Amino acid sequence: MSDTEPSKDTVLEVNGLEVTYSTNRGDVRAVDGLDLSVRRGEILGIAGESGSGKSTLAVALLRLLKPPGRVTAGSVVFRPAGQSPVDLLKIHGEQLRVLRWSALSYLPQGSMNSLNPVMRIQDQFRDVILEHAPERKEALSELIPRLLGQVGLEPRVARMYPHELSGGMKQRVLMAICVALEPDLVIADEPTTALDVTIQRVILQSLADLRRDFGVTLMVISHDMGVHAQLVDRVAVMYEGRLVEVGDVHQVFKDPQHSYTRQLIDSIPKLGRRAS
Amino acid sequence: MTAAAPPAEAVEASAESAPRSGLRPWLSRHPLAAYALRRFGLYLIELWGALTVAFFFFRMIPGDPIQTLIQTLQQNYVYNQQASAEVIARYQHEFGLDGNIFTQYLKYMNNLILHGDLGPSLINYPTPAQNVILHSLPWTIGLLGISAVLAWGLGIIVGAVAGWRRGKAGSAIITNLSIALSHVPFFFVALILVYVFAYSLGMLPARSAYDSNISPGFSPAFIGSVLKYGLLPGLSIVVIGAFGWILSTRMLMVPVLGEDYLTYAEAKGLKPWRILTRYALRNCYLPQVTAFGISLGFIFNGNVLVEQLFNYPGLGTTLVTAIQQLDFNTILGVTDMAIFSVLTAVLLLDLLLPLLDPRVKYWK
Repeated sequence: MSDTEPSKDTVLEVNGLEVTYSTNRGDVRAVDGLDLSVRRGEILGIAGESGSGKSTLAVALLRLLKPPGRVTAGSVVFRPAGQSPVDLLKIHGEQLRVLRWSALSYLPQGSMNSLNPVMRIQDQFRDVILEHAPERKEALSELIPRLLGQVGLEPRVARMYPHELSGGMKQRVLMAICVALEPDLVIADEPTTALDVTIQRVILQSLADLRRDFGVTLMVISHDMGVHAQLVDRVAVMYEGRLVEVGDVHQVFKDPQHSYTRQLIDSIPKLGRRAS
Repeated sequence: MTAAAPPAEAVEASAESAPRSGLRPWLSRHPLAAYALRRFGLYLIELWGALTVAFFFFRMIPGDPIQTLIQTLQQNYVYNQQASAEVIARYQHEFGLDGNIFTQYLKYMNNLILHGDLGPSLINYPTPAQNVILHSLPWTIGLLGISAVLAWGLGIIVGAVAGWRRGKAGSAIITNLSIALSHVPFFFVALILVYVFAYSLGMLPARSAYDSNISPGFSPAFIGSVLKYGLLPGLSIVVIGAFGWILSTRMLMVPVLGEDYLTYAEAKGLKPWRILTRYALRNCYLPQVTAFGISLGFIFNGNVLVEQLFNYPGLGTTLVTAIQQLDFNTILGVTDMAIFSVLTAVLLLDLLLPLLDPRVKYWK
């Protein structure tokens, strides 16, 4: 065990990741030689403008990348607790399927259609829990209201359909589902986008609570520097498929090393200052 | 009301918070029941309207059915004199052709609704038209109904898998085959099947509904014979019908596969079969349920050729014979049957859809 000691607190290690989209005008490299590590228990923010490759990075790590996108180089070593490390890019089929959700889970943007419109909320909890942890069948009736309560939703939401929920409620349902199996890593793709600012604040608070209560490791992808300032421990700034800066969020905000990071920080609107 | 009644009512009213008795408040508390009731009322109006239009439409057909009947009787030497005015009047009364068209209409609707009586059939006089129809109806429902359900079920399953595995060789073959074959007419496929299985191989019979040497009844021999005789006409309907359903199901399936909830289901690590059934198919098969209800109407008029070709004693054959002989009561009766079954099927589907899709709103 002693030799794994230095990597024990690293959940995910990305080395030289390259993701390419084939188009009729040639290949476009969306992620270009990216190195990144995620420490256990931290909230890591990925910042960057639209088209910087941050969402492509998320789907590549989740193995949800669809053609014409493909991973062209690199490795992603994932170390779930109590299991041997795996290269996420090398596993397929069943091996990947059993790892999903129980170890590697996903929090999509709530304004997307991620909830199945014809299934009750409780059934969308039930199917994923029973798939990976069938022994919890007896505890479901207690577990689902508890998870909903964790994100500030009433138990009756379980009996509702997605179209009966508001955008903020949907986002919270997705948050409750993503921690249902206490995963090692949650990749959140724009969890506050398309919500109004008051709800954004509640969502950010709930995410921070989830880390406190479940000890979950979070990777939060957002174009909004305000989200990173409020929520994350470390922030990684992406620009044109590359990481330009990684560091402690306070350090980065106080003393940005890269000119692009400075521009991003300056782009946060402030009260009492005219937009230039 | 006795004097004791009002206090009892007052106690009841105070026991519950605000419920008022009567249909209206009850309906406002049960939107599904209110919807069902409203939809049923609409159904009755539609039924009445369609039956009325059918009645007046068929009365506009040129030709004198009574003259045709008398000619037929004369040819059969039953009645070899010139028909007297009295005889003609008696027949007109019997067939509901006396009086002006509105008295005829009232009499017809009265007999139809209160007695289920369609009037005598001209060619099978004096057998009532409803008996003629009821005699051939089981054959049509048995052959066309079962074939239609089989074609639908098969089409949904194969189409869903073809959509799910789009881009794969097997899916491409099935899709292109469906495009090619879904619009080939029934009778063409039927002719090929007859040529191969009945004529060349001699395995299956190509005419009639059962072996005439076996007496009809619930005997294993008779049922076996019915199945054997129904195989070729049934197969021709299933084959062509299924290709149409495959194509439309695939078409509905493909856009659903791009939905966010399918990506999410994949991220959840669910088994592929479960994603296909509970996430993809569950979200795209509703239009197919509606389409199936509407297609039931074509059982009554669309497959006449199949019945003709196989000399099958179903409703299609009855209809064609009736049209040839100007047997207007039977023609109208078959039309009424088709109206009734299509409207009833659509009614049942409308009542069923809110249960199948939670997004369907049945209240205003």
